[in-house]
This record gives sequence, C-alpha cells and structure tokens, in this order.
Amino acid sequence: MVRFENVGKRYGHGPEVLRDLTFRLTPGSFHFLTGPSGAGKTTLLKLMYLAQRPTRGEIEMFGQTIGKTRRRDLPPLRRRIGVVFQDFRLLDHLSALENVALPLRIAGARRERIEAHVSELLAWVGLAGQINAKPPTLSDGEKQRVAIARAVIGRPNLLLADEPTGNIDLAQGLRILHLFEELNKIGTTVVIATHDRSLISTFGRPELRLSNGELTVHKAPVGRPDEDVAELSPDADSGRRA
Amino acid sequence: MTGRRIELPLGGDANRRFIPLIVGAMVYLAALALAGTFALDGTIRQWSDNLRGALTVQLPGVAQEPEGDEAQARIDAAVGLLLETTGVLSATALPHAQSQALLEPWLGAGDLPTDLPIPIIVDVIVDTGARINYEDLGQRLEDVVPGARINDNGVFLSRLVTLARVIQLVGLVVVLIVAIAAVSIVVFATRAGMTSHRDTIELLHLIGARDNYIARRFVTHALSYGLSGGLLGLALAVLTLGALALAARGVDQALLPRLSLDLTAWVALLCVPLASALIAMITARMTVLRALRRLP
Repeated sequence: MVRFENVGKRYGHGPEVLRDLTFRLTPGSFHFLTGPSGAGKTTLLKLMYLAQRPTRGEIEMFGQTIGKTRRRDLPPLRRRIGVVFQDFRLLDHLSALENVALPLRIAGARRERIEAHVSELLAWVGLAGQINAKPPTLSDGEKQRVAIARAVIGRPNLLLADEPTGNIDLAQGLRILHLFEELNKIGTTVVIATHDRSLISTFGRPELRLSNGELTVHKAPVGRPDEDVAELSPDADSGRRA
Repeated sequence: MTGRRIELPLGGDANRRFIPLIVGAMVYLAALALAGTFALDGTIRQWSDNLRGALTVQLPGVAQEPEGDEAQARIDAAVGLLLETTGVLSATALPHAQSQALLEPWLGAGDLPTDLPIPIIVDVIVDTGARINYEDLGQRLEDVVPGARINDNGVFLSRLVTLARVIQLVGLVVVLIVAIAAVSIVVFATRAGMTSHRDTIELLHLIGARDNYIARRFVTHALSYGLSGGLLGLALAVLTLGALALAARGVDQALLPRLSLDLTAWVALLCVPLASALIAMITARMTVLRALRRLP
C-alpha cells in the first residue's frame, strides 16, 4: 500500500524535516500519526498524498515507485487517496454538495451518480439539510464534515487526515473517528494525524510517532489482537526508530 | 447543479472583465489594418490593369483653334507615326472636350480662355511583350510634331505600386504586432487568473485532476473573451469602414482611388474574431500547462 525507503525531506537549504524514514503500511491498517508541532507530521502526509516529492529516498504507493512514475500517471494514484486537510480547503463559491462532488467530477462520473452518492454521503455525515449551503455559512464542525465527505466520496484506498478533529468538539470528533473506522472496515487504509491523546486511547490504534524528523511506531496499550501495525526498517522494532 | 465546470470562477475576476474590451480594441485595429491591406490590393490590381501596356503622347496644343486644321495635322502625323511603329496596338487622340475635362480639377469647370494652348493627348496601347525603343520613338515624334513628348506611365505606376505595397506591408506588420500584443495580454490574464485561484488549482491537482482538466477551464474562458471581444472589435471596425466609405463617396476618384473590399477581404475580416478566439485559447492552454508542470 505505502512504502517509504530511507526517505528524507528538506525545504530549500534548511535542515532535514524528515530523516531516513523507512516504513510500510499494509492495506486496511489504521494508524494515528502523532508528534509535537513541527515534528514533520504534515510534511509526511504531504509526501503520502503526493503533494511533495522527497529530497531523497524512495516512496512506493499502491505498488508504484513514485520517483519512477511519469507525471501524467500520478493523477489516477491521487484519486485513490482521500485527504482531509487541516484547513479544510473547501471552495467557498461552491455549495457543500458541489464541494463533495469534486473528486467524482474530476474522475468523470455521471451527473446522476454524483448527485445520488453525494446527497447520501452528506446525509450520512449529518448535513442532509445543508447540501446547498456555501462553506462561509457553515460552522467549523460542518466544514470539517464536508471536507471529510469530499475525502471519502471516491471510496479511496488510502485516507489521510490532518488533525480532523482539531476544530470540533469531542462528541463530533468521536463521531468522525467512528466514520473513519467504518471506512477502515471496508478496506480503506487510514492515517490520522492528531494531537488528541484521548482519541488515541479511546480508539486503541497503533501510533506512528514523529519526533525530530524521525519515526517510531507504538502499538496501542490495549491493542486489537488482529491489528495490522506499520512495519519499520528491518533493524527497528515497536517503539524504536524508523 | 454539478454539471457545469464551476470549480474556477474565472469570469468573476474583476480585472478579467476588461479583457474582452482589450481584445476588442486589438481586433478593431487588426481588422482596420487588414481592411486597408485588402483595399490597397484591389487598387493596385486596378492600377496595374489600367496602366499596363499603356502610355500617353502629349502634343503641343494650338491656341485659338484647338480643333482646327493645324491641330488635326499634328494629330494625324503623330498617330500615323505611332501606328507604323511595331508593337503599338492603337493610338487614339482624346477629343478636345475630354482634354479640357482632365484639367477641370485644377482649372475649374466652364469655358477656358481660347488662347490657352491645351495639350493634345494621344492614348497609346502597346503590346506588353514588345520591346519598343521609347527614346527613338520620342525622337521621331519630335521630328514630325515639334514639342511632342512621350509620358511613359510605367515609372509612375511602379512608384505608385511600390508605395502601395509598402503601405500593405505596414498593415500586415500592424496585424502581427496586434497578434503579439494579444498573446501577451492572454498570457498576463491567464497568469493572473492562475495566481488568484492558486489554492483552487492546487486542490484540484491534489484530488487527482489532470492538467488538461484544469487547463480546459481556462481555455473555455479564453474562448469566451476571445470571441466576444473579437466580435465587438469587428463590429466597430465594420462601422468605421462604413463611415469611411460614406465620407469618401464625395471625393473625386482622380484624387483618391476607389477603395473597396471584395468577398475574400470580407471573409478574412470575419475570420479575425475567430483568429482572436483561437489565439486566446491556444495561448491560455500553453500558459496553464506550462505553469502546472511546476506542480509535483
């Protein structure tokens, strides 16, 4: 699904934000991505949703080595990734329905299919009455749910969420996490970047912890017996450096 | 609700509302320059047709009796000599009244003083393939009619045609400059559009839109302002040409050649808005695709 091999990332001539990341996420796994501010969580997510290229190392997504993939072959890979951005990135001039429909439109889906699916999904995230509302008229929690609906409308193989519960209350955060779990149950690989320790402990999923640009993996204190946990480099173990 | 291409609201950009006007102004200039070029083309052809193989012989006129025996004797002598010359197809003296009429723009209409020796004009048509020694012919005419002079229209014609061709070239250069300016404006407008919608473009890119998908929106918009501006410019140009034609109606053709547009010219003018739309589309597409290549 996702494989990083000695990946490093630096911006300009600055220090490396990420160093020698080597890990592999198996299909259907569910991980929290944690770490202090500035640890590189967002950068790691950007590398995973192909918004940036690594400075060094090799990234493999869905069996394709990104560095060797032609640029014109990247859009189909991106369509297999759903992203919930920290700042939502909704288009203010579009309605909730049109925002959520974007990935399907881009994929060339038929109009009837788009409207049926999008309405259904908006109802599922509790926004049935807001489908024609524009983002500026929505609360942060509602925007967050629109962003989540947009991320999952295309049934992505990989769902990446950057602080998806950062702007909403605990109850709504739990609801959204349950939604992610539902997706995970039907095979979507999920990585959620969060600071929220209570969510991590509530959901008991393994944790990818970034610190000073280096990655360690930690199993949940009360892990599930059949849990898929990210594999680190051969010389690493749970709780050790990647 | 989800059928239109609405992700990039390019038409709403304040600065882009002026683009059709700018394109319209450019098409207006290009259409006028092109119309001038085509009109001159017709005139050049007309001059060439009228003057090719033609020359005039000017004989000294006879005062008091411009149509008397002496005048007729000069005509007969000159025409006779001309018709004997190899390569001369015809030689016809203009009637005195017609010679007078030619002077009207300078001397005015009405009875001219009888003591004014109005020159006798002989129209001569020569075979364009014939090699006539005009120097020798002029000398022989001088011998039979002292004061006779050949006016070879070829030199006059070639200078006139050269001038007209230069003006045509200037017209085409104007069209070229306008086209380059139009490309620059479209590049500027497209880049401005991309800058103001950078976040949207980046989002579309990240959720899997191909470059062509994003470029298509800019191309559609460019088609819209290229065509609307082009039609506006063409309409203004046609109005201007109509006004010029009206104004030129009272001008004597001896002073200003008749400038008219044939069907080819009108078809070319109608193509100007299409060309502007095409230029706008191609330029917008290339600009967007080039910029998008910088994204990962």
